[in-house]
Amino acid sequence: MKLLELDAVAAAYGAVQALQSLSLGVAKGEIVALLGANGAGKSTTLRAISGLLRPTRGEIRFEGAPIAGMHPERVVRLGIAHVPEGRRVFPGLTVRENILLGASNRRASRAQLGREADEMYEIFPDLLRLQGALGWTLSGGQQQMLALARGLMAQPKLLLLDEPSLGLAPLIVQQVFRVIARIREQGTTVLLVEQNARIALSVADRGYVLETGRLVTEGSPGELWDNEEVRAAYLGGKVTKAA
Amino acid sequence: MTVLLQLLFQGVGIGAVYALVALGFVLIYRATNVVNFAQGQFAVVGAYGMVVTTADLGLPYWLGILITLAVMALFGALFNLGVYYPLRNRSFLPVVISTIGASIFITNIILGVYGPEPSMLAPMLDAPGISLGNLFLDAQYLTIIAVTLALVALQYLFFEHTLLGKRMQAVSQDKEMASLLGIKVGWMIMLTFIYSAMLGGIAGILVAPILFVSVGLGGQIALKAFAATIIGGFGDVPGAIVGGIAIGVIETFGAYYISVPYKDAFAFIVLFAFLLLRPSGLFGEKVSQKA
Repeated sequence: MKLLELDAVAAAYGAVQALQSLSLGVAKGEIVALLGANGAGKSTTLRAISGLLRPTRGEIRFEGAPIAGMHPERVVRLGIAHVPEGRRVFPGLTVRENILLGASNRRASRAQLGREADEMYEIFPDLLRLQGALGWTLSGGQQQMLALARGLMAQPKLLLLDEPSLGLAPLIVQQVFRVIARIREQGTTVLLVEQNARIALSVADRGYVLETGRLVTEGSPGELWDNEEVRAAYLGGKVTKAA
Repeated sequence: MTVLLQLLFQGVGIGAVYALVALGFVLIYRATNVVNFAQGQFAVVGAYGMVVTTADLGLPYWLGILITLAVMALFGALFNLGVYYPLRNRSFLPVVISTIGASIFITNIILGVYGPEPSMLAPMLDAPGISLGNLFLDAQYLTIIAVTLALVALQYLFFEHTLLGKRMQAVSQDKEMASLLGIKVGWMIMLTFIYSAMLGGIAGILVAPILFVSVGLGGQIALKAFAATIIGGFGDVPGAIVGGIAIGVIETFGAYYISVPYKDAFAFIVLFAFLLLRPSGLFGEKVSQKA
């Protein structure tokens, strides 16, 4: 059984059809990349999974149980953490407070949360000296690290990452993706949305390519790179622009 | 010198009441991005709670206060469910209209029951006050200042040192993200309304013995509190407190040195000056969004 399954999911923003009958699956322990140009429906897919958007049709199952249309506050309690596009760090709270709030989906003592926050500084050493700084004062790369740390505090079984490379310098992008690889090593499954296909496929086990709300193709990173058509249309040319 | 201090004392006292109502404005504004135009009516409901329990039913003051506070908590919850919650996914305008509607509704219910004649309340304490040389510190004003200080301190501790306070701040900063983290946004907003209604109620309880209690009280206090939030910088908690006290002091001095009939005008002169010269207020726009 797949950890996450989407079966013919459709979703719309008002009259705009953003997803048309998308089916995909993520197995436990995998990193799966969702690729495609702007407006292909990648973020919409994540929003439908985490409950920010109610699908108009189709089924979403997590560990076999249907979750489509479930409220985000409940979805995160099942073990799905969504790190949305733009990091969405709380600007008026400190780094440490942002991290602590990541565990709002579960019950834990204040002391336990404190210990877990301290562990986050081992994965994200830069955040340690910034722990008293307010969210808005951080650079883009620091905010991305903080958003990841906050997501991990939920102790998710599945982590949804939306455009973690967006707006970051190449060196920082590499750092972020090293952390993503490490997150998987520690047993968390990752569904990754990226415009930067090259870097996404460097860590992913499998990829899906979307175009205007439809699935174009899927396969291993190697297969996707070898597919001339896909590469020309969705992978090759976009890399430099997106980075 | 004595006159100055005497005026300052009274200004701070009445300003503290404005500050409490202004705090209610700010907390609801931060949690929902909506200005609650019924905030002044919260104070009126609190004041009438005291009239009903202590004057009409003859209960002791402490019991009247407890009952009124409980009623205010319930009132805040019902206000949230009836006025804000059904419109929570709409833009701010329908919600603002809804709070104005609620304000008119509350005013007329009270008018229907109690009529337009103001009610009087006995002083809260038996002692009239303390004399310091020529300075006379009225007991009710001292109570108002002490209660306001205590509330501000408690609120600071709550928002800065508890996880629940941090969750409420997170909700005021980004509701969708808070919801993604599993913070129960609806409950946090419910708590905000309950607390803001209690703050307004406390302002009403405190001010009832020094002013005549009438339905007109709400609009009067709400306008000054609103001016206070503009002066302080809209949405800023310390700004609301400083702004409220500033308005109280300005109108007290204005009434003494310039004109008593125009007492209410001074707050608005300052308000207009701020709107023209410094619309972001004293503490406004400290936190900016960085891309």
